[in-house]
Amino acid sequence: MRLNKEWTIKGIAMAVTGTILVLAGIAFAQHRNFKEEVVLGPGVTTVRTLGDYFAPLKGGPNDANVFILDSGEPGGTMLVLGASHPEEPATSLTAHLLVENATVEQGKLIVVIHSNPSASTVTRPGDAYPRFFHIETDWGIKKFRMGDRWANPLDSWPDPETYVHFPSGQLLAYMDVRNLNRTWPGRSNGSLAEQTCYAFMRLIEAEGVDIVIDLHEAELEYPIIGTIVAHQKALRIAAMASMTLTAEEFRIGMEISPLALHGLSHREIGDHSNAPALLAETPQPFLDRVRGITDESLLLTGKDEFVMKAGEFGLLYWPIDESGWPIDARVGRHCSTVLKIAEFWTLFNRSKPLVVTSVPRYADVVANGTGYFFQDPATASASKVVYE
Amino acid sequence: MYIHAGIVLGVIVLVFALARFLKLSTELAMLGAALAGLIVHGLVVPSRELVGAFAWFEVPRHIVDGAFTYFDVVLIFLTATLFMNLLKDAGGVAYIVRGIVRRFHRHRALALLFLTVVMLIPGALTGSGTVTVLVVGALVGTVLTYMGVSEVRVTAIVFMCAAMSAAAPPINLWAMMAAAGSNMPYVGFFLPLGVLSVLGALFSMFYLGWRGTPIDLEQIMTELPKPPRGMRWWKVVVPFVVLFGLIAAGRVWPWAMPVLGLPLMFMIAAAIVVLTNLGQLKLIKVISDTVEQLLPLVGVMVVVGILVQVMALSGARGLISLSIVTMPLVAIFATLFIILPVSEGLIQYAVAPLIGVPLILLFNMKGFNPIIALAGMAAMWPVGDMLPPTSVVGRATVMILGFKGRYYSGFAKTCLVPAAFVLLLGSLFVVFSSRLGFLVGG
Amino acid sequence: MAVMVLYYVITALFTVILVRNFIKTRDVQKGILYLAVLMPFVLRLFRLK
Repeated sequence: MRLNKEWTIKGIAMAVTGTILVLAGIAFAQHRNFKEEVVLGPGVTTVRTLGDYFAPLKGGPNDANVFILDSGEPGGTMLVLGASHPEEPATSLTAHLLVENATVEQGKLIVVIHSNPSASTVTRPGDAYPRFFHIETDWGIKKFRMGDRWANPLDSWPDPETYVHFPSGQLLAYMDVRNLNRTWPGRSNGSLAEQTCYAFMRLIEAEGVDIVIDLHEAELEYPIIGTIVAHQKALRIAAMASMTLTAEEFRIGMEISPLALHGLSHREIGDHSNAPALLAETPQPFLDRVRGITDESLLLTGKDEFVMKAGEFGLLYWPIDESGWPIDARVGRHCSTVLKIAEFWTLFNRSKPLVVTSVPRYADVVANGTGYFFQDPATASASKVVYE
Repeated sequence: MYIHAGIVLGVIVLVFALARFLKLSTELAMLGAALAGLIVHGLVVPSRELVGAFAWFEVPRHIVDGAFTYFDVVLIFLTATLFMNLLKDAGGVAYIVRGIVRRFHRHRALALLFLTVVMLIPGALTGSGTVTVLVVGALVGTVLTYMGVSEVRVTAIVFMCAAMSAAAPPINLWAMMAAAGSNMPYVGFFLPLGVLSVLGALFSMFYLGWRGTPIDLEQIMTELPKPPRGMRWWKVVVPFVVLFGLIAAGRVWPWAMPVLGLPLMFMIAAAIVVLTNLGQLKLIKVISDTVEQLLPLVGVMVVVGILVQVMALSGARGLISLSIVTMPLVAIFATLFIILPVSEGLIQYAVAPLIGVPLILLFNMKGFNPIIALAGMAAMWPVGDMLPPTSVVGRATVMILGFKGRYYSGFAKTCLVPAAFVLLLGSLFVVFSSRLGFLVGG
Repeated sequence: MAVMVLYYVITALFTVILVRNFIKTRDVQKGILYLAVLMPFVLRLFRLK
């Protein structure tokens, strides 16, 4: 009798756990296997993948699409990295928007929408991130994966007990061995993220990249926000871009990449290649530790009472009010920043001009919404649709 | 938002209390509280801009996402304990204890010093106080018992030294995670963390372990369990040499060594124990017993992960975090010794990004030395590992030493003085961080 | 890669033992906790999370 009761409870518990596992498993599989549709814009001339530059990545989780927009005219080459951290969605949206809209009149623009694709296929345990987010367009809703800061453990397991950065030897927290913005300049036989950075360095060499922009978003509690962080080789461009953007469009600061902080794109790419790197940050209240309800709404509107309260106490490095930091403002900032950096690159390097057009600026994105600039994959020819 | 987060937090506390009242175990009570919090969040969450109502399909996903929060730590606990249990089953632990007692029985101070070092190493290398307890806790505990230290004091010593080993450099997970979250390089922590953890461990060991009875070698040698016939010194030494060798090799040749990770290193060490004692071990039984022995510990890690997920989802986590960082600075300093251990007891390592990062950014803003201040905090957090609801290291200590006394009025009370010492020292480091900047060299 | 495979082996080993202990335990509370602990192990083994 006792045994029966024991097994009844155990049986019910098994059924409940089984149901949870099946439903959660479906949810995780949906997220991991979801493909974002990218419609190739008029400027895209070739689509390669990272594996073309470093064969071991071919066909693997981080064989990211590399969109090349080549004007055919001689000039400078710029590489734009979206979603180094997929939990910063304004970055992949900006890159996506560049691929679907930009035309290049002089020089070459190379865009990567998901620089660490593996990290975009996993939600962060314990942080209640949504799996997807949706952007309204004129032709319907466009769906995107919301990812994590670190590569998926299914693709990169185990972590070391502490991560020793190559080549500086600096010690970093163990999970940062999966963080694309801590593994530059990378290592050919390292972790997935290290190999990915290594592949990007080969891409930079092979394509003759002159300047790199790494797009990011940051919490308002974090001092490096609303700014351009520049390697010392790109200080003039960053300073001019920040000054003119502040005068003409929105406030944006400028910081010099610290010499002692290793593994970061703005430090290592500049140190280990001919291309200086700049990192652009927009404010994303979703990432703040003091945030309230964690969901897609916060991700897209950037409105949060708790973060505002922290601001009243002077705990934030960037202002926030009832209107929050909507995704359109963040994408718009990144668009204008990329354009402005290209303009000043050209100004300072007359022999290597880079002229990018047809990309909306901050005011356009805020006025029309990000979705306005996405093309409908259903009406595009199949050869023009690429899956991310 | 305040009301919503408050309601969810209230439900969590209420259900936990009710479940405990109904004689559910701490782990199950916490699980029930987390699930109730999740459901209440779904029921009362206001319609949200752009998204609308709560998506119930996400509920199972949130539960499992939370359950994964400390999965790596769970694997380390399981493999580390398996290794030590196999060694114990083979008679290796008894062999080492006899060796230490024979070598140090005449010099109490030297013996205590040696035991402190033994306690500090595993946690310093792995960042986990639990690993220290699981790997060397029983061994050090046995030696201390034979040095005439009372059971409750032995338990307190093992816990405090384990806590300090987790704080000890080079690996302090709280400092690493908080530094990563505030984009500080994990550099310059060696000396401040070293000073704090070594002082804390020595104070605990000598304060609690100095008084005792002199060792009667003859009597102890007859009382101590005798290692089996086939036991040889190399059978004990080799697994440890391989284990620490692998950890050290990963640090010395980080780019030549393949990344093995701690669980695999412990499994390799365990495999060596099995191979050198072929036919003498009840392998399946030891693994099964290990899992059963660790169930409360790994169970609480899984359940806390779910709780943390629900609190993040509902904004309850943000509310707690906000309440702390919006306190006046003087109040923060005055209550750090409560806030840090209590929050550690509540959510474990997740405190580092949750509370550590905002506090460090706040201190930095106010002109304090962030490295010293973080080191101070990172030595105070592990003290909270004996506090409920998780009490991870405290419970591991009690479990591994087979302590039969009362948890709070016995064990925890005995820890009070050394714990207060560490908390005071840590607080002083935070408050006077700008004057202690000279320690940031290592 | 080989190391990752070994991690699946370790995960599988503990999954089997967890299931075995769940079946053997007479304590219902322990049984439920075993199931909770099993969740991440099972989904990792199936490479779903």
